[in-house]
Amino acid sequence: MITLIAAHQLRMLRRERLFLAILIALLLMTALAGFIGWSSHNTIVKVYEESSAMLASEGKPAPPDPFALKPPLSFLSNMTIYIMLIGALLAIIVGHLAIASDRASGSTRLIFARPVRRSTWFIGKLAGVGSALAIVLAASYVLSIISLVIVNDSLPTAEEFGRLALFYLVSLSYMLLFALVGVAAALIVHGRSLALLVALGIWMIVTFMVPQFTSGLRPTASLNPVVNPVDTSQRFFDVTSHFHSVSISELYRDLSAAILQSAPAQSDSVGSSEIVPISAILIVLVLLMAVLVNRLDLSEQASHE
Amino acid sequence: MVASGSRQAAPAIELRGLSHSYNSHPVLRDINLVIDHGEIFGFLGHNGAGKTTTISILTSLLRPTSGEARVCGFDVVSERLDVTRNIGYLPDSVRLYDHLTGAENLEFFGKLSGIPKPLEAARETLRLLDCESYANQRVGSYSTGMRQRVAIAQAVMHRPKVLFLDEPTTGLDPSGVRQLRDIVKLMNEQLGMTIFMNTHLLSEVARVCTTIGVLNQGELIYKDTIENTTMRFRDEASLEEIYLRMEDRSA
Repeated sequence: MITLIAAHQLRMLRRERLFLAILIALLLMTALAGFIGWSSHNTIVKVYEESSAMLASEGKPAPPDPFALKPPLSFLSNMTIYIMLIGALLAIIVGHLAIASDRASGSTRLIFARPVRRSTWFIGKLAGVGSALAIVLAASYVLSIISLVIVNDSLPTAEEFGRLALFYLVSLSYMLLFALVGVAAALIVHGRSLALLVALGIWMIVTFMVPQFTSGLRPTASLNPVVNPVDTSQRFFDVTSHFHSVSISELYRDLSAAILQSAPAQSDSVGSSEIVPISAILIVLVLLMAVLVNRLDLSEQASHE
Repeated sequence: MVASGSRQAAPAIELRGLSHSYNSHPVLRDINLVIDHGEIFGFLGHNGAGKTTTISILTSLLRPTSGEARVCGFDVVSERLDVTRNIGYLPDSVRLYDHLTGAENLEFFGKLSGIPKPLEAARETLRLLDCESYANQRVGSYSTGMRQRVAIAQAVMHRPKVLFLDEPTTGLDPSGVRQLRDIVKLMNEQLGMTIFMNTHLLSEVARVCTTIGVLNQGELIYKDTIENTTMRFRDEASLEEIYLRMEDRSA
């Protein structure tokens, strides 16, 4: 029964234009991340080769190849941004549609007038949402591998395959968070459009507002050439620094950077310090969903939105 | 098919002291009602009388505030799965899944009902309801009448023992209403289904139902067979007059 509900979910999504449009955008951006990596690689190699030739003609030694120092997966660092923006949006749509389409069409009454348990329906919905996102990310994974082969002119190593798979696994967890936000909003708010707006509002807060209170305030101090332009020892910064552990988008960004080796690790503890809060929020959201599903009014009528 | 056996000698539907309130506002008050197998029961009442609430309770979608409701002998609260194995339900204003075809919608609901070959059952039911020709069109492109037929198909494809129809004629034109009447008779006579129909179309009740009940402000003010009703109110020209008179008495 769980498989049936999950498969039904996938079938519905396959015919949903909004989902397909965002899916295409994500896959295009994946290809674009590869193209940007390939383009910057070519430009830098060209400049390096010209510089080396010029230095050689002057009898000077050439500096080392910059790409020899750059981890191959770091070409895909833009993917982190695309997942945070387009991936999270796609996840919200998938989560929203999983519940809202049943509620709006009045199909919940048809489903629960059959021998179907609430828990079965809920787990089936979650399985459908998870499968849909996994399929999307699997396609993106394949595109990323193709991009890497083109950029590096060789197959990735087993470690790189593994790291990329880990990156996509973390991305799946991150997207699941937003899918659950879409599910929760559709369960709590009855109007279909309003439920989507609420979920999008939460996405905006998590993606754009919360980081403003954490790292968004500090780079000014770190990048500005003037010594100590802002005194970060103030109480205000003490408080905002604690937000970092709840800033999901930043946790995801840091973890992704560590996996793709696109930025030097901030500390040795990169990994558990990001995974624990993300997992904790996922578990809390699933439990909240279970409570909401248990309280869902099964006799509600179709909305005419 | 998949409908499980009912309890021996249990009536199709049984309500004992059933009451329900929404936010302390009573909608059903102490309803007592027994409907035997094979009946076509017309449940009459104005909008807001409590008809849909009664069906929601009988289909196990809503827990009653107090009292007891049984379908085929099974309690609607503690034996929900047994109840739902024995019933078919057509809600009012159901829209189904617009992105799926009629056959795909039925296949999904058939699988949920545990039908072994849902696609075959879907096509057979659509043939029975004379709407097989639009099985492969998306429901989103259907007219109201076509949609209603497919919605009826989802309610009967697993051959339930008791069929609940909530305002089934809503949005149908006169020919659609006539077709629906034929379908209800077909389900009752050929498939032996007990039918519980909420309606305010008195003309349809007179033509189709074997028994009627009248609900007024949450109270069951009348229940009897159509024959007895017309005998008892022989001075009245039509069922509409009878209905109005019963309501006046109740008021």
